[in-house]
Amino acid sequence: MEKEQYQQLEQNVTPKPPYFKNVAKAFLVGGLICTIGQAVSLFYMIFFDFTEATVGNPTVATLIFFAMILTGFGLYKKIGQFAGAGSAVPVTGFGNAVVSAAIEYRSEGLVLGVGGNIFKLAGSVVLFGVVSAFFIALIKFILVTIGVVSW
Amino acid sequence: MKLLGIMLPLLVSLSLLSGCGEKEKFIVYGSPENEKEVEAILKEQKFVDKTTVIQYDNSMLVAVQIKPWDKWKKTKLEKKLQKKFDEKYPNKDVFVSADYKIFYEANKIKREQVEDNKLKDKIKKLKNLAKEET
Repeated sequence: MEKEQYQQLEQNVTPKPPYFKNVAKAFLVGGLICTIGQAVSLFYMIFFDFTEATVGNPTVATLIFFAMILTGFGLYKKIGQFAGAGSAVPVTGFGNAVVSAAIEYRSEGLVLGVGGNIFKLAGSVVLFGVVSAFFIALIKFILVTIGVVSW
Repeated sequence: MKLLGIMLPLLVSLSLLSGCGEKEKFIVYGSPENEKEVEAILKEQKFVDKTTVIQYDNSMLVAVQIKPWDKWKKTKLEKKLQKKFDEKYPNKDVFVSADYKIFYEANKIKREQVEDNKLKDKIKKLKNLAKEET
């Protein structure tokens, strides 16, 4: 069988992914996670002394805590299977990536297992986040020094 | 699909509930002096949704809620309103905030009819809170 022939055959056999359905699922579940996040931030604003500007940090921490518990009970992967990007893009997806790696490598010990592998999946997010933040801040600093924009 | 079946009724009921929230949009607490004037200034701005104004002694706390699509420019609009009030009342200490926390606390002050001597402390605390950054 030729290479092209095989590719033709493969394309005929592969089922078409239901894009529209996937997008709808991701939208609904992602929206639900963000609604929960909004509820958490309202809770912190009403019962504690946080403003809209400062409420972000405790909200993120709480959402990651929720994701941690769900991952530990094995429920987050079910949500992930159903919603795809809808459960991976919010901060809960990041929490899931960290915690699931920690659980997976627990059997290899605390230092070389958990410590060495906890950022296996999420490390790239942290790295690129820090590096891009540094460059954006540098660009903004240069622009402010020239006098194009203000802080 | 099971999840969808649970979520859809929830979403529908939430959107229905939000329709019942129509209340007073402009509230003044404290001395009623130049209430009409302040109301006129705030009504003039198309981006303002709800407001609560608290007046005491010589200062004024203006808590506004901005309409959803205008929230992108929240800090800019806040500054604009602050400037407008500073021009209108140059010898008054006006503090404008578009933060939900400040708005909520202002409404709480109104609801609980806080006494004058406590009011001062409370508003000072709110002002400090609004200036916090991290």
